[in-house]
Amino acid sequence: MVKIYTTPYCVYCKMAKEFFKKNNVAYEEVDVTTDDKLLEEMVQKSHQMGVPVIDVNGEIFVGFNRPDIEKALKIS
Amino acid sequence: MYDLVIVGGGPGGVAAGVYAARKKIKTIIFAESFGGQSLVSAGIENWIGTKSVSGFDFAKMLEEHLRAQEDIDIVDGVLVQKVVKEGNSFKVTTSDGKEYQTKTVLLTSGSRRKKLGIPGEAKLDGRGVAYCSTCDAPIFKNKVVAVVGGGNAGLEAVLDLIPYATEIHLIQRSDVLKGDIITQEKIKSSPKVKVITMAKPLEIIGDKFVESLKYEDRNTGETKEIKLEGVFVEIGSIPNADMVKDSVELNKYGEIVVDHKTQRTSLPGIWAAGDVSDVIYKQNNISAGDAVKAVLDIYDHLNRSL
Repeated sequence: MVKIYTTPYCVYCKMAKEFFKKNNVAYEEVDVTTDDKLLEEMVQKSHQMGVPVIDVNGEIFVGFNRPDIEKALKIS
Repeated sequence: MYDLVIVGGGPGGVAAGVYAARKKIKTIIFAESFGGQSLVSAGIENWIGTKSVSGFDFAKMLEEHLRAQEDIDIVDGVLVQKVVKEGNSFKVTTSDGKEYQTKTVLLTSGSRRKKLGIPGEAKLDGRGVAYCSTCDAPIFKNKVVAVVGGGNAGLEAVLDLIPYATEIHLIQRSDVLKGDIITQEKIKSSPKVKVITMAKPLEIIGDKFVESLKYEDRNTGETKEIKLEGVFVEIGSIPNADMVKDSVELNKYGEIVVDHKTQRTSLPGIWAAGDVSDVIYKQNNISAGDAVKAVLDIYDHLNRSL
């Protein structure tokens, strides 16, 4: 289960989503600008305020570092 | 053995790659990512031939143009860590531990963000201290924020924040803003923006998240404090010249000194162009043009040394 917290113009969010699509990874996108509760959820999970935040089966990543996400998803 | 190694995937590196491929120079290009520092720009409106393009689409355009070339090796996602002269050629070491041999090197490795280097900045990074305004501006909805830096990047960060923040303090060290007049006019027309010149940031204060920013009023020497929840840092950049810092002449800013006719560096066989070089104006269009100049000179050099 992959969940990504985003804002509309965040380029690293777009890069992460393109990466998921390219690798056929199903993901749920949460735009934190649509609801303050979602933003709170993201801050609670990641203890910080920057996007993207990527939740891979409960493992939380701040930003989009391709090698880290590949490792978490076991994509070589 | 390659004829040419290009370091960087910004407008300089990609322009060089396109020209080198069309000249049939045996080339490999290393790009950590494409688009250079403009990648995070909300809109680029001065890339000639394009009225407006987002940084993301700009990066894609560059990558597609490069990948459309035949006969060029492209390695993305890695950094070049070291360039060492060995006899008449160079050994290039990358962040994944591989080594490559080449006759010439073109450095278009650009620059990276400078940090403030004041107490609280590192601890509160991501906890109110932010470096990507297009990414994180919406998160500061209904909050008071500061932008540090009155150059173009700082002004653009203010523009990104105007729709969301309640109050934006633009902190500038010198007595005037430096960015484009057209952008200065835009931000000054917003009642949310307060420009504070002659201000030197001293400390970012906060327990879990940013709570305030202390700065010195350079006119009076007084320390002042603004209660706020966000600090966006846009104070310029540091050239990515570490891979040649022991072998090539750098100026006091760490930029690679080049001959501006040919883009040659102090070490024959290495060229540099764009923001990593001591070019006065750091611009996408100029980086592309200077990198093309470099490739044409490299082409002549390779043919002369046949």
